[in-house]
Amino acid sequence: MRIIDVHTHPVLDHKGGTPAEVKKLIAHGRRHGIVHMVALGDVLVYGATPNAAQLRAINDENAMVARLHPDYFTAFVYLNPRLGERATMAEAERCAALPGFRGIKLEIANNASHSCMRHAAKAARTFNFTILQHSWSTTNIKDRIHQSDPVDTALFARRNPDVKVIMAHLTGIGFRGVLEAKPLPNLYVDTSGGWPEEGLVEYAVEHLGPDRLLYGSDLPVRENAITIGRILGAQLSAVERQKILFGNTARLLNLKLN
Amino acid sequence: MLIDTNVNLGPWPFSPLPDHTGPALAAHLAASGIRRAFVSHLGGVLLPDPMPANAKLFAQTRRTPALLPVPVLNPALATWREQLDICRAAAPIRAVKIFPNFHNYRLSSRRLDDFMAALAAAKLKLLLNVRLEDERHKYFALRIKGVPVADLAAFLQRFPSHHVLLTGAYKPEVEKLAAVHRNFSADIAFCETFKTLEFMLPKVPARQLMLGTCTPLLSTRGEVGKLTFAQIPARARTLIGSENARRFFDL
Ligand SMILES: [Zn+2]
Repeated sequence: MRIIDVHTHPVLDHKGGTPAEVKKLIAHGRRHGIVHMVALGDVLVYGATPNAAQLRAINDENAMVARLHPDYFTAFVYLNPRLGERATMAEAERCAALPGFRGIKLEIANNASHSCMRHAAKAARTFNFTILQHSWSTTNIKDRIHQSDPVDTALFARRNPDVKVIMAHLTGIGFRGVLEAKPLPNLYVDTSGGWPEEGLVEYAVEHLGPDRLLYGSDLPVRENAITIGRILGAQLSAVERQKILFGNTARLLNLKLN
Repeated sequence: MLIDTNVNLGPWPFSPLPDHTGPALAAHLAASGIRRAFVSHLGGVLLPDPMPANAKLFAQTRRTPALLPVPVLNPALATWREQLDICRAAAPIRAVKIFPNFHNYRLSSRRLDDFMAALAAAKLKLLLNVRLEDERHKYFALRIKGVPVADLAAFLQRFPSHHVLLTGAYKPEVEKLAAVHRNFSADIAFCETFKTLEFMLPKVPARQLMLGTCTPLLSTRGEVGKLTFAQIPARARTLIGSENARRFFDL
């Protein structure tokens, strides 16, 4: 089974960034059948709202990972839309010129329904980038200034129907989040987030169809054996499983993998 | 062959999980390599008196030798001693399980003295459930947190001659307790990070860990993968996968 992991942080908290460590991560991935990873950067290393220089440092490190192993890593540029249109577009443009960048990563600098998100949408349109937005149900965790509830991420996708958006963390958005995503064909969901709660993967396929769910692990926060086993153990057809683990992300990001 | 120390029958009202029959549950577990499992009934967690759920548990496991029943008891109820006798008469049990946070008592309660003494007299083991769900994803009106690690530590200290199995503890909680206490084991259902066991074993001896999947609330195959994919010594894998449970439950 060939797998693409759409949600990884090869470098986290300043760890994992040496060439030897990256090689070790690739060996780890291959052991689990992962043939390609989407690297999202060391996103929280400078806190929730990084400045322009901090974003550049994070993105440079991520670019290095993709440059070392272009066959294994696709990179997303990490942005903070609160820095405004000029800063957001400049950093997106800088990374779009580097090899391997195909998307934008948004974390918790702002809620996804905030008006500053128009800058991220503009960058996505301009550079043909997919946006991966960290999302989590705020029913229990509150902090909606920073956290994007599935309602907020869905609103962003609804406002920008021409932009492809990945709502991160199936387990974090839960059953309610799947229903928020249901009517929006430009909104995808990755399978990462939390413990492997049973029933959610099947529920997502039932409501989103098999083409909008993408395997993601959130490594090294979580464990690939668990996040992959959860998909393999779900009550799905072989075709649905292949789409979630590989086909959907390959198609969405137009990855040509041998 | 794997032994699972943390399995449940019965529906859970907050999630559309499969409500397995005994044989269906055994087949589901066997598909992930689990040949024996210690099973409780989720009804015992939420009912004011766990006995109707225990009766269902005994009925559903009676003809399925792979499933070993672990009744749920609530030491805060006046009749726990009588209920323990009923459970022992109903099936050859090896352990009972308690859910202090769901049953609204503290582990520091003096009632636990008699309760622990009764378990020792009956040669029964105690499974102490720390949590069943990620607190962030609980039903919004169910404001129940995991059993505090300080309460667990005090409990272990208070009953040094008992060896207790904690189910549903997080990895940092297990590591914190293992730094001080030897009279407990923990299942690994809610322990997760990158390469969980590779990172846990330097801090927690393999002899204190047991496979537990928290089926059906968590994915059985995913949870088992954490052990089968771990790059750890073969001896540690055997201890965690079956040997520790075999010894603890005297199988
Ligand atoms: Zn992440």
